[in-house]
Amino acid sequence: MDNNLTSKLKYREAKLGYLMILPLLTVVLVFIILPVMGTFWISLHRDVTFIPEKPFVGLRNYLRVLSAREFWYSTFVTVSFSFVSVSLETILGLSFALILNERLKGRGVLRAIVLIPWAVPTIISARTWELMYNYSYGLFNWILSILGVSPVNWLGTPISAFFAIVIADVWKTTPFMTLLLLAGLQAIPQDLYEAALIDGASMFERFKSITLPLLKPVLIVALILRTIDALRVFDIIYVLTGGGPGGATTSISLLAFNYYNLGDYGIGSAISILTFVLVLSFTIVYLKVGRFREGLK
Amino acid sequence: MREEVLKRILLIIGAILMAIICLFPFIWMIVVSFAEDPTFLGSPLVEYKSTLENYVRVLSDPTLHFPAYLKNSIIIASLVTLTTVSISSLAAYAVSRIEFKGRLLIPIFVLGLSMFPQISLVGYLFKFIEKLGWVNTYQALYFPYVAWTLPLSLWILLSYFSQLPKDLDEAAMIDGASRIKTLTTIILPLSAPALFSTALLVFIAAFNEFMFALLFTTDHRARTVPVGIALFQGVHGEIPWGSVMAASVISTIPLVIMALLFQKYIVSGLTAGALKGE
Repeated sequence: MDNNLTSKLKYREAKLGYLMILPLLTVVLVFIILPVMGTFWISLHRDVTFIPEKPFVGLRNYLRVLSAREFWYSTFVTVSFSFVSVSLETILGLSFALILNERLKGRGVLRAIVLIPWAVPTIISARTWELMYNYSYGLFNWILSILGVSPVNWLGTPISAFFAIVIADVWKTTPFMTLLLLAGLQAIPQDLYEAALIDGASMFERFKSITLPLLKPVLIVALILRTIDALRVFDIIYVLTGGGPGGATTSISLLAFNYYNLGDYGIGSAISILTFVLVLSFTIVYLKVGRFREGLK
Repeated sequence: MREEVLKRILLIIGAILMAIICLFPFIWMIVVSFAEDPTFLGSPLVEYKSTLENYVRVLSDPTLHFPAYLKNSIIIASLVTLTTVSISSLAAYAVSRIEFKGRLLIPIFVLGLSMFPQISLVGYLFKFIEKLGWVNTYQALYFPYVAWTLPLSLWILLSYFSQLPKDLDEAAMIDGASRIKTLTTIILPLSAPALFSTALLVFIAAFNEFMFALLFTTDHRARTVPVGIALFQGVHGEIPWGSVMAASVISTIPLVIMALLFQKYIVSGLTAGALKGE
């Protein structure tokens, strides 16, 4: 009898649990899972707006995309962007975190200042950088003119446009890296440093043998999080170069977007799904390295 | 001793550089927003004169629709924040407190979703929203934003709820409170800091979103600030930089003030959301 009652209660509890996660699952199902599956479905069809029939073509769109130079070029741009941007951001973010971790007058103010780039909306920061890169009255060419150097067409050549985007992105995303790494630094027990000091370890030795190894787990999580985010870069490129000059800075997300804009949903969806595959391969690394299951306990 | 002095000097130089790097684009935005003529740097004939003209124009020029964009952004982001925080509180409570099959899979599943590139949704989502007749409506952005901000929100609340002792619930339930009552009268009030940081992060994320807003809106009825600012164009195709920067300042200052006032919450939210796997 008693047993029956507990199992009844348990059943009611479980039912309540499912009810409580229902809203979350519904929204996520209809507005994330369903769209991704839908995009995959579209990618298997020749789907062009204004043409009424959308025949099933199997993997033909993928073959077309994978044999196109522009796709591989965009993948190259996206991966190099992610690599350069995340590397610079890590170096800068780590430097900032190390500074903020020291006892320093005005540390509170500095900590607030570091949040500002994060709080400025991406599009707005992209617009501000666009203005600073402006050929005839941008801040950078003005500084160059003071130094007696002739102006640079920052957004006009493939290489400089690439780095212009990288720099704007690094500015925007470094705070995130700084905050994560700072949290990691603060979790390192101070007495380790004191012991090392007594042993006469130099500043560099302490960094190399205490800070870096203990920071590694946080560093890896932060690196992969940022890489996954960088691989889907869109906003900042859309505003700064629109993918130009001549397609030189077109990321994969932007390439897919351009096909959607042309009304070619089949090809656009195939590129989108390939972007997903690229990000997914990094996600798998993330899940492997991050050991999420343990974190839940 | 020498090393300490060197370190001190490096630290101070580093701190100054850091402040300059973080601040200068933001300051530049403000400088240009007050400039009578934004080309003042390029030409020796134009000197910097400050004016409120850009602000007046951006708030009153009917062709720019900026007040409408701002209103849309604030309404959508607020509704999204309210919904996302409610939905994820329920879910986080269930996952952290109630025994049911598969509950530990929920956070992993949701985390996996947050890795989807936005572009992999839009192919279908665009058609879906068009079919529903939602283009240029708030719901076209509201629902995708709620879905998009749920993972982060769930993770922050989950990591917070899991830290609260389970005795609290048990005591409340012995007193006869239902689960829902326990959640609303005990857990939520105790979680105010986590709720607050989640709300801030969700609001800022929804306010910033660009790709969906660009695709699902075509005019000022539901267009948000980022799209408005990205597409601002003068009559002759040139960019009205003064207006663009004034609009940028108006939309950014509240976010920056929020970020500065509630730094502590934002930092704890961001790190809880990101280092959850730790």
